[in-house]
Amino acid sequence: MNGQFRTCPVTGRQIHAQAESLIKVNAVAATVALLIGGITAVLVLLTRWQVVHLLPATWFYRLLTIHGMTMLIFFILFFEMAILYFASAVLLNSRVATPRLGWVSFWLMVLGAVMVEWNMFTGKADVLFTSYVPLKANSWYYLGVILFAVGALLVVGIFFGTLVIAKREKTYTGSMPLVTFGAATAAIIAVITLGHGAAIYIPTYLWSLGVIKSVDPELYRLVWWGLGHSSQQINVAAMVSVWYLLGALTIGSVVLNEKVSRSAFVLYVLFISMASAHHLLVDPGFGPAWKVWNTSYAMYLAVLASMVHGFTVPAGLELGQRLRGLTKGLFEWLRKAPWDDPAFSSMIFSIIIFGFVGGITGVTFGTEQINIIAHNTLRVPGHFHATVVAGTALAFMGLTYYVIPLIFRKQVAFWPLAKLQPYLFAGGMLLFSVAMTFAGTFGVPRRHYDISFTQAPFDIEFSPAVDVVMAIMAIGGLLAAVGGGIYILVTVWSVFFGKPLELGGKRI
Amino acid sequence: MSMHGVPRGITNPPQPISPAAAAQAEEQHAGAQTPGTLVLVFVFLAAFMLYYFVNWKLLSFLWRIG
Repeated sequence: MNGQFRTCPVTGRQIHAQAESLIKVNAVAATVALLIGGITAVLVLLTRWQVVHLLPATWFYRLLTIHGMTMLIFFILFFEMAILYFASAVLLNSRVATPRLGWVSFWLMVLGAVMVEWNMFTGKADVLFTSYVPLKANSWYYLGVILFAVGALLVVGIFFGTLVIAKREKTYTGSMPLVTFGAATAAIIAVITLGHGAAIYIPTYLWSLGVIKSVDPELYRLVWWGLGHSSQQINVAAMVSVWYLLGALTIGSVVLNEKVSRSAFVLYVLFISMASAHHLLVDPGFGPAWKVWNTSYAMYLAVLASMVHGFTVPAGLELGQRLRGLTKGLFEWLRKAPWDDPAFSSMIFSIIIFGFVGGITGVTFGTEQINIIAHNTLRVPGHFHATVVAGTALAFMGLTYYVIPLIFRKQVAFWPLAKLQPYLFAGGMLLFSVAMTFAGTFGVPRRHYDISFTQAPFDIEFSPAVDVVMAIMAIGGLLAAVGGGIYILVTVWSVFFGKPLELGGKRI
Repeated sequence: MSMHGVPRGITNPPQPISPAAAAQAEEQHAGAQTPGTLVLVFVFLAAFMLYYFVNWKLLSFLWRIG
């Protein structure tokens, strides 16, 4: 084998030095993105909270664009790149395929992200996350997105290459581990997603340069959501893989049925892209048959996959605990779980909020008739903050508490704060998402600077309850921001100034 | 007991499952193996049904028929 390996004293795994370095840099880049996205989140939140109404309109929409791109694309994808290296090279005891290309990909992604951020911050891309045409950004913005996507696509290629190497060099026996299998489905969805991204961002880039005259707005929306929604499904597949991993690491959960779990992952690959249609349910350009087929049939098969995992993950935790003697009553296995392990609490809160808030609201909005009363209201961000933030981001945060000692070989700094962090973050996000959903039920629009419609020629009055609900939303958001801030403090301090990991008095 | 700054899963990894316990569990079907999760599944189902039908009710206020 090429390259240097070390043996992890905890897991006994052979860890390739290049894989370890690539995991580290991608995780650090993700944390930087989280910091930028988090600061903009607080500023956007304090503007939407009508009592404070912090920013002027221009900066509200600018920071909303930055918040969306930085969180949904840069933070999540950098972290997922780290997960792909982890799930392939580390879990399979393998070397990374073409590590040099891994570094090229990383710097390509960094360059793309910096270009996009620069254009957004300087006001050359006030186009929101969706950048719907005919809204036009600076051409460098689109080029930045394309470069970032190419970098990510190369990492996906390296992931598949690493799987081939591991198989050929027999670095593992038996079938591929479930976590790696889940990551592989995330990687396949990433190819589909990035393909859609290329199909729409390249013509839009050419349009911004003046090479082509126009991009059809309806076609743009259709293809863009193949990127916009599918990218969130990379998150779901990666998040579920992280649930299985954290279950095994924290309490030794078992996999109830490998075939069922693997089949559920395959359902994501087959049906999740079609579910993108639910973003277009009120779009007048698409027919009802197309909408209903894609949402009320295909989407439910992808939802079925999430419901399967929503059963098998906690059931695996329960069975693991019961097999170790925690058999009293219905919930001894849960009561006596390690709630002071931030990775465990993150995983449990991620499962609960993702399923109960994000999942239920998402499936409901995916119904064509109901979508008409939810579309473009705060119910929509209420839903996806429960899935992407309280679900995916929280699961990733939980994983970090194991990545710091196992990969960075450092102790987690500010340990009492780290143990508190998932509770603050999850509690805050739960309040925030539920309050947003309620506000949307009262008709409060999303992506809106001023819901009091000051100086507008018309007058819209919301129920007085909206003021209370928006205040709860703000309190929840601020609590979550404190939780996010603690996470950044803990991870940055641990990685750059943390004490080296010692086990049994021996430095690792 | 967790060590300061290191998660419990590293300092005190989960104990291996005894083969006898595993074999005994395999004889039961999934619902019997995991009764707590089964209860949670029904709580989820109830929440789902409640939210879904409340939304249809809300829709009926907006789209009156007849």
